[in-house]
Amino acid sequence: MSTNKIDPTKWVDKYSDYLFNYTISKVNDRELANDLISETFLAGLKSMKNFKGEATERTWLISILKRKIIDQYRKNNSNKGRAEVKITYNENSNEGDWLEEQAPDRFDKTAEDVMENEELGVAILNCMDNLTEKQAQIFKMKTIDGFETETICKEFNITPSNLWVIIHRARTSLAKCLEKNWF
Amino acid sequence: MPNVLKKIGFKMKKNNLLFIDCSEAGHCCDKKQYDEASLSEKIKMLLHMAFCKPCRKYASKNTKLTKLIEKSNLSSCPEEEKKNWKETIEKEISK
Repeated sequence: MSTNKIDPTKWVDKYSDYLFNYTISKVNDRELANDLISETFLAGLKSMKNFKGEATERTWLISILKRKIIDQYRKNNSNKGRAEVKITYNENSNEGDWLEEQAPDRFDKTAEDVMENEELGVAILNCMDNLTEKQAQIFKMKTIDGFETETICKEFNITPSNLWVIIHRARTSLAKCLEKNWF
Repeated sequence: MPNVLKKIGFKMKKNNLLFIDCSEAGHCCDKKQYDEASLSEKIKMLLHMAFCKPCRKYASKNTKLTKLIEKSNLSSCPEEEKKNWKETIEKEISK
């Protein structure tokens, strides 16, 4: 089995979007997600020596990130407990306010929605791994960031028809991959 | 080119005003996903799809993909954050 090497200087370019979408799907808060990711990178740097090369870099980073997210959940839950005590003994509390309404709740969607969407985002990103780097970059710029065709053409120095061919290939491959893994 | 037309001996000229081939129809369909297809392209595509089952299938898959991506709320993280992270990592490494 080939061992995977670790190269922190490329982490941000390679994995930040993946980590970001993964975190957003779990905590639903952009700022918190940013904090968690920077913590993850730092923790990764600290424990670089422990990286055995058995998993890919990304899997390894995700496993660190998962721990960070769980820690965050724990923190939230302990806050919930405190809020409970406060409200129970708070005489000024408004009548009719339920405990649940005052406790922090990260999810404002139904559980099903959240589950489906979080899996979907990660599934799409996983499928994008099958694309070539250029395809993935251009597809991301066009579809997710919503850049104009002209801007992308200038950046990559290609013609619009080139761009559409690349987009076409990316879409076909993504559709195939999602069909296999999602539907 | 749709098989039906081939059977009746229809030959396609270059830059045909009404009939386009599958690859061009595919491109029009891709453009449509980003709202960048012109009216004439849309008409040509619809006309082509009336004859061509594979292209109809491709169009439906393509639309599905667009909807899925919309639904997944994918977003790339802000460039500023990326810069910050890069700087912190570089600092840590050079320590």
